[in-house]
Amino acid sequence: MATLELQNLTKRFADGSDEIVAVDDVSLEVGDGEFLVLVGPSGCGKSTTLRMIAGLESVTSGTILLDEEPIGDRPPQRRDIAMVFQNYALYPHMTVRGNMRFGLEESTNVADDEIEQTVTETARMLEIDALLDRHPRDLSGGQQQRVALGRAIVRDPQAFLMDEPLSNLDARLRAEMRTELKRLQGDLDVTTIYVTHDQTEAMTMGDRIAILNDGRLQQVATPLECYHRPANLFVAGFIGEPSMNFFDVTRTDGQLVATGFEYPLSPSTLEAVGDRTDLVLGIRPEDIEVVEPSRAANYDGESHAFDANVDVVEPMGDENNVYFTLEDGSFTATVHGFHSVDAGTRVTVRFPESAIHLFDAETGEAVHNRSLEDVADETRTQPLD
Amino acid sequence: MTSKDAPRADTGGNGGTRDVGGESGAGDDQNREQSMEGFSRRIGRIGRRRLALYVTLVLLLALYLSPLWSGFTTSLKTAVTFATTSPLTPPPPDGFTVEPWYEAWGRMRFAMINSVFFVIPATVLSAFLGSLAAYGLTKIDWRGQIGILLLFLAGVFIPYQSVLVPLRQFWSAVDLASLLAFAPALAARADLLELAITHTAYGIPICTILFRGYYLTIDDEIIEAAKIDGASTIRIYRRIVLPLSKPMFAVTLIYQFTNIWNDLLFALVLVTTSRNFVATQALNELQGAMVGQYNLQMAGAFIVAMPTLIIYVVFGRQFARGLGGESG
Repeated sequence: MATLELQNLTKRFADGSDEIVAVDDVSLEVGDGEFLVLVGPSGCGKSTTLRMIAGLESVTSGTILLDEEPIGDRPPQRRDIAMVFQNYALYPHMTVRGNMRFGLEESTNVADDEIEQTVTETARMLEIDALLDRHPRDLSGGQQQRVALGRAIVRDPQAFLMDEPLSNLDARLRAEMRTELKRLQGDLDVTTIYVTHDQTEAMTMGDRIAILNDGRLQQVATPLECYHRPANLFVAGFIGEPSMNFFDVTRTDGQLVATGFEYPLSPSTLEAVGDRTDLVLGIRPEDIEVVEPSRAANYDGESHAFDANVDVVEPMGDENNVYFTLEDGSFTATVHGFHSVDAGTRVTVRFPESAIHLFDAETGEAVHNRSLEDVADETRTQPLD
Repeated sequence: MTSKDAPRADTGGNGGTRDVGGESGAGDDQNREQSMEGFSRRIGRIGRRRLALYVTLVLLLALYLSPLWSGFTTSLKTAVTFATTSPLTPPPPDGFTVEPWYEAWGRMRFAMINSVFFVIPATVLSAFLGSLAAYGLTKIDWRGQIGILLLFLAGVFIPYQSVLVPLRQFWSAVDLASLLAFAPALAARADLLELAITHTAYGIPICTILFRGYYLTIDDEIIEAAKIDGASTIRIYRRIVLPLSKPMFAVTLIYQFTNIWNDLLFALVLVTTSRNFVATQALNELQGAMVGQYNLQMAGAFIVAMPTLIIYVVFGRQFARGLGGESG
């Protein structure tokens, strides 16, 4: 068990005469026993980062420290790291036992009966002890997944690397394994980097999540921090489902002007905005208040409320996704499942000022995030090394 | 052609029969009678089709087997009977003899043993080295792979005839017999050693290309998983790649064994002493200078062909799997 640290990690690929920067100056630290999820859209460099840590990909520049020792020059055989692959990569000609023994046989001098004992114990923990003499081709996807995990666990490495390990499972099994994997990692207390493109996995599993886009690190923070205090437009749009609504706005005097509505700002928010004029207003679907027609009159003078057309309503049971159209745009709100809204009607909506985010339209950087009074306690309970 | 078309017609016939079954299942007596009539009519038609198919198949079989058959009958006839009967007729009781088999075996036994001694090492070595080279060309990253691969590819297409002279010159320059002078028993067999080395070298390119195609289908993640598990490049070959290569080894072993065992050209150029003659040379010797002893030659040919047949039977199953591209 150890800390894992990346310092200015960069990977460039030659593509003909061009150079592609797959990973661009990524620095991050994973605490001892921490579960860090590396998340981003496909092609963002997250798998390349993981493969560099594993030693499967050469490092163009930068340093990788495992337990404070640089390991960038070591071959994968001598890094004391275990990896779980997306397609499991089990050895097809070996039994489950053979697959799990392999790493211990190759990387240690542990006596045969001791290996056998470790394998049996791990198999029991993963509930695959009945499968030990079967071959991978005789196992279901979920069972193969467990064997792949077992193969990593028996080696008792300094760190686990997981490359989208759940993406080949069906939705139900994936949800189950998500919980189990998280619990397992907690029990074993092994430093883990988990790569995924699925923001649900990132939110639910990670102690912290690191969001990558285009090879660049966007934000490293607890899931709730990323959700409520996104560092920039990309993080705000990537985390959350349905995703955050964005409106291009210009600031004139004390208010924001968008096509379709005007939005006055309080002095404290204006202070954060400074002298920027081009901004992006963001608000999460669940923060939008959809006003019942009977109460609409109360909002007449309300400056943060305006009328919009209901385009489509998607009932989800516990909540409804309501899609609105504005003069030349659209946005989404989620309301309680019993709150009925009819498609085709015109209703009043309100964006509470405490829930809005403002981003610099040019750089995408967040200039103002929502007020965190109601969620601050939750975020503070997350372990931060 | 006929044999391909015929089964299709047959399937159609079966489909028809099933239809009839459905009708009779409806129950009605009259219907059943009618359908029974139709049934036998259809059977008659199928019967004629089947008959035509079988006749064609038997004729084709006879055509394919006739050279083997006439060779076999000839090997069991006395010289006089051979001269007076058609090659296709079985030997008559008074003209039957197994003497040619005894004689051929007696005259070729030493050469058969010589062949076994150089063919097996050459076959195994060329397959093994080909597999190693293919591993290096597919699962290990290094500069200049493409150039080396092209050389291997070119090696596949070099005809035997074109290398005969340089080959002879090479083995004259590298005097294996005197190099092995410290071990007289080996030195006496230098010709066979030269043959084994030549065939190994000559077989490596095709084996490499065959194994390469197979290794490209092995998931790279398996190799990477083994690396992370701590296995070295050589250990990965021994514990992962080699065991997964079984079907392709069957293919290359059969292919190389047949090729090397049946080769006469290299042996003629490289084997100079008659005690080192290989099976194909010994068979050639059975020809006789004055009188063609056909029964003897035929028996000899069957004896020489026997080992390749045995290899096919032993590895046939794996061979089919290797060609089918099935792994594990």
